[in-house]
Amino acid sequence: MSHLDPIHVQLLAAVLFALGLAVTLTRRNIFFLLMGVELMLNAVNLSFIGFARTVPGDASLTGHLSPLFIIAIAAAEACVGLAMVICIVRNRDSLDSDAYADMKE
Amino acid sequence: MLPELNAILGPIYFWLFAGLATLCGGALLLCRHPIQGAVALIGVMLSLSGLYALLHSPFLAVLQILVYAGAIMMLLVFVIMVLNQGLDDRIPRFDAYSLIGLALPVLLAALVLNTIGDSRSGIVEHAGTVRAGLETVAARMFDTAGGGWWLLFEFGGLILLAAIVAAVMLAKRSLDTVADDDQPHHEHAGHAERAAAVAAIPDAATVGRSTETFVKPPVAGTH
Repeated sequence: MSHLDPIHVQLLAAVLFALGLAVTLTRRNIFFLLMGVELMLNAVNLSFIGFARTVPGDASLTGHLSPLFIIAIAAAEACVGLAMVICIVRNRDSLDSDAYADMKE
Repeated sequence: MLPELNAILGPIYFWLFAGLATLCGGALLLCRHPIQGAVALIGVMLSLSGLYALLHSPFLAVLQILVYAGAIMMLLVFVIMVLNQGLDDRIPRFDAYSLIGLALPVLLAALVLNTIGDSRSGIVEHAGTVRAGLETVAARMFDTAGGGWWLLFEFGGLILLAAIVAAVMLAKRSLDTVADDDQPHHEHAGHAERAAAVAAIPDAATVGRSTETFVKPPVAGTH
């Protein structure tokens, strides 16, 4: 028996997700974009684990298993994303996201 | 005695880690250099690891440190240091569009907080939850009798393999080998050397490949 209110966990997850979204949308350096995405994934993991404690028995394990796959996907995402950053910086010689504004052409 | 101690210490630890995570998240939003941001993000991840341990998930707490704070952030810091040629300092942190970008998270947070407030009675702790240690998680995930997640686990391995291959292909300068790309003269000289070695040594056909690797072509002194 623990003494933590699950609603506080959800509030913290919402705050962290909003912070991650704000970092991704407002910062101009592309490294901060990637870090904001990681922060959002972490917030979702926290939300899963927080909700796992509101359901009984075997169903609660589902909430502990989903973050495992999110972590695996996040590792793959960081791997490919950083490779793309290396590739793009080599071509444009800039870390500013505005330098990539003409990528659609 | 111990449960009463936990009743006091549990919320203290929770608010400690929650405050630390929020502080580090705010620092990530405001700090100037990517390395500072990476350190702030590592702080968030370590705090979240502590929270996972508090929330009866010790396996994920360990995994959070091993994979997130260990592997992913190490990779991120490494790439930041490789690509950091003084470029970072000239980029302004925000621009005029950042105000529009800030409106969306605020709206989202307001919506989510409103929803949580409405469903407050539904989000209560259940007494019969399972403590997700390593044995419990592994038994559930690799339960081949039915209801297991092992197929998803295999797909996760496949995705990671595909990501590794994609990263190598993306970050490589050229798809050719180094010898073909940079040193065409050495390659030709190596062929000549190898032909001479094959002609000179009777059983060189069996060792021809190894002589090619360590016999130096005589191009450096003659030019």
